Amino acid sequence: MSASNENIKDMIGQQYKDGFVTDVESDSFAPGLNEDVIRALSAIKKEPEFLLEWRLEAYRHWLTMEHPEWAFVEFPKIDFQEISYYSAPKSMADGPQSLDEVDPKLIDTYNKLGIPLEEQMRLAGVAVDAVFDSVSVATTFKEKLYEAGVIFCSFSEAVKEHPELIKQYLGTVVSQYDNFYAALNAAVFSDGSFVYIPKGVRCPMELSTYFRINAANTGQFERTLIVAEEGSHVSYLEGCTAPMRDENQLHAAVVELVILKDAEIKYSTVQNWYPGDENGLGGIYNFVTKRAECRGDNAKVSWTQVETGSAITWKYPSVILRGDHSVGEFYSVALTNNYQQADTGTKMIHLGKNTSSTIISKGISAGHGQNTYRGLVKIGRKAENARNFTQCDSLLMGDQCGAHTFPYIETKQPSATIEHEASTSKISEDQLFYCMQRGISAEDAVSMIVNGFCKEVFKELPMEFAVEAQALLGISLEGSVG
Amino acid sequence: MSVTHLPNTHYAGLLATATTSKIEAEADWLTSLRERAAAEFNVAGFPSPRDEEWRYTNISAIEKSQFSLSEKTAEVDQALLDEALLEGCYHLVFVDGYYQPKHSSLAGLADAVTVLPLSEVFTGSKEQQDLFKSLLDSVIEEHAQGFINFNTALFSDGALVCISENTVVDKPIQLAFISSQDGALKLSNCRNLIYAMASSKATVFETYTGVADSCYLTNVVTEVVVEPNANLTHSRLQAESLKAYHIGGVYTRLENNAIFQQNNYTFGAVLSRAEIHANLSEASDCTLDGLYIGCDHQHMDNHTRVHHNQPHAVSNEFYKGVMDDKARGVFQGRIVVAEDAQKTDATMNNRNLLLSERAEIDTKPQLEIYADDVKCAHGVTVGQLDDTAIFYLRSRGADEQMAENMLTFAFANEMVERISFKPLRFKVLDELLKRFPQAGMKKEWL
Repeated sequence: MSASNENIKDMIGQQYKDGFVTDVESDSFAPGLNEDVIRALSAIKKEPEFLLEWRLEAYRHWLTMEHPEWAFVEFPKIDFQEISYYSAPKSMADGPQSLDEVDPKLIDTYNKLGIPLEEQMRLAGVAVDAVFDSVSVATTFKEKLYEAGVIFCSFSEAVKEHPELIKQYLGTVVSQYDNFYAALNAAVFSDGSFVYIPKGVRCPMELSTYFRINAANTGQFERTLIVAEEGSHVSYLEGCTAPMRDENQLHAAVVELVILKDAEIKYSTVQNWYPGDENGLGGIYNFVTKRAECRGDNAKVSWTQVETGSAITWKYPSVILRGDHSVGEFYSVALTNNYQQADTGTKMIHLGKNTSSTIISKGISAGHGQNTYRGLVKIGRKAENARNFTQCDSLLMGDQCGAHTFPYIETKQPSATIEHEASTSKISEDQLFYCMQRGISAEDAVSMIVNGFCKEVFKELPMEFAVEAQALLGISLEGSVG
Repeated sequence: MSVTHLPNTHYAGLLATATTSKIEAEADWLTSLRERAAAEFNVAGFPSPRDEEWRYTNISAIEKSQFSLSEKTAEVDQALLDEALLEGCYHLVFVDGYYQPKHSSLAGLADAVTVLPLSEVFTGSKEQQDLFKSLLDSVIEEHAQGFINFNTALFSDGALVCISENTVVDKPIQLAFISSQDGALKLSNCRNLIYAMASSKATVFETYTGVADSCYLTNVVTEVVVEPNANLTHSRLQAESLKAYHIGGVYTRLENNAIFQQNNYTFGAVLSRAEIHANLSEASDCTLDGLYIGCDHQHMDNHTRVHHNQPHAVSNEFYKGVMDDKARGVFQGRIVVAEDAQKTDATMNNRNLLLSERAEIDTKPQLEIYADDVKCAHGVTVGQLDDTAIFYLRSRGADEQMAENMLTFAFANEMVERISFKPLRFKVLDELLKRFPQAGMKKEWL
């Protein structure tokens, strides 16, 4: 066992592989937050009046709110006046029209991450709206999508080109008063993605956005809005990596999904932000509000997430099942190593008849990691025959980590059927022995077992993401075979 | 997270002026303990729904009702007594929070067993006083909880049960709590201390009953210590009047290799809360069973916490609930496995049956695990009766109501059948059958 303990230490001690800083000049605001900052931000982005008002309302409400303390995470108090609320890569001002015009250093960054844009355009057939810090730099495959009638662009572009859609849908799922970080995001969001799938359209390709946090001390406040009209279908991929950095960075994003009758959205996330070093120093704070609303009958939404990065992950992708027969799904793998903390889960709010939801959550804790599943299943009075199945499994590696489960189940409908199961275990020595006896190294064996543990979630990911996720899990646990 | 909640002036006033509740010849140390608890209560008050542990239970009705302290009554309705007392047990009877010697019977109790009302502790022997002092307030971890402080400051009586080493008590000991006052908005506070010394074995029942349809508050705290290799079974049957309020807690410390079985049956009270806490030491074994059957506007909250502090302990939890009419059932279970508690085996199960459109179930089974070599699992279900099973019964001539009753009864009866002591089993069965008003349900069938 001592040999494998060594291995675990090696694995846990692995350096963050994507840790590098691209030296790009940033056009940033001085740190601080007040109404003038918001006005300036709005002016830079040439936003219409209604959006500025909306931001200011959110800000004024935010001032009245208290920082939430209920989550199972610990971190020093954040000084919101210490954060710079806008940073754009400098070459953005010239407005690159094609990849050739994009700052070569940015392209280099993507290449280091193994995301060659050209490659992806040609080979993978994936349109990439790459967000480098706060402003979209390159958007690909726009024309092809345009032919299908799909709008896929950066949020600021959408504000200029489709203000009526923004006005109609922005804040209708996550209002600007929703919670502390959602209100903050509403006040200062810098950019994000906007997707609109018209009636009856099946999006011809998988849409993908790569986020990167780059400039030091810049909070990233992304806002994503996806609207799926009647009978449409889209699969959206979100993946992230971030350079190594010592100061904590705040990331408070908001994702809103609107799903109308018979439509379907599949939203996949692979999150690998900088988790801090082995002493828990640095790392990203990832406080995200994600919510989907099934407004019409037979609407379907599926959240899949693989969370391996961030010093603190605090998010609950939720589904409001308003339409009859609507379906919500949540598949999650959350891994915490070293001093990482994760308090994540989902909320399934059943309001319509015959609605159903599935929750599969896999938590893996290693090192000093604290991993919490927190989920709500709520069945309203009118949600006849609502159905929920929840399974939360935790895997513990090492005796310093913790795995916690806090499910909330509230039912007001007798015809509803709810099942919840949770289990906690560790990798058994028998399993390890079996693998090693057949010549597989301890490390590979652990990786294999952990990947098996997460299989139910990985199979929900789009193919290319599933490959990345498995590799990511391997890297995050490398040498950390228990 | 603690939430500041200003104490209700009425109850703060009760604490300030209460003198009648004090025990005869009370020692100074107890008085100062009470003063400390009263001071804490004056700061924090009763818990509010903003407190995470109380989010599903709002006790503002207790605050509004302004219950006053009950006084010692001489007479008790014989019918009430007959109904409350179980055959084949030693009895200690408390009426409105005061010991009633003439209805109690401890005849035949071995010398190695001490069963004493707290009101007689200070007139008793030095050993008994020392025992009382060492046990009181020794198990509870959450001193700040409003109802515990309220109880500590005001308890008027209760039982002290101590089983000496290597002793097996031949019959169960029943602590019967009866509320006899009708329509007077009275409250009673009792404190029980149960101490099973090394390698002893005993069974203790707590039963709570009251005059039908009267409104009163029972606030009771039981502290239990189970020493190495001892085996204690503790059952509580809460069958208060349907308009009463009941707040009860059982706080237990299990030492190495101790075995503790707790059964918690909830039928009565318009609003009730049961806190069952257990702290487990090495290789101890803890079983928590529960059944809660609610109808009308009843609100039943069951709150369990099992704390695995040391390795090799085993805990099993199984709670079943049936909610009908506008009743609301709450189950909040929590298992905490400390860093050193390797080889822990913990399970928690909560099964609920929701029978009406207006009923509600809120359940929150939590696991908090800080050790890696453990086996922990929990499961929850909320559902309704199986249509095929109803169809099966109806195809054999049962009408719909009867079919539903039979299936509901069968669901609940699983917990009743686990009771090995017959008089208690029949008593629980009686309470269960009362919830099935339709005449079709007969005890003879069973």
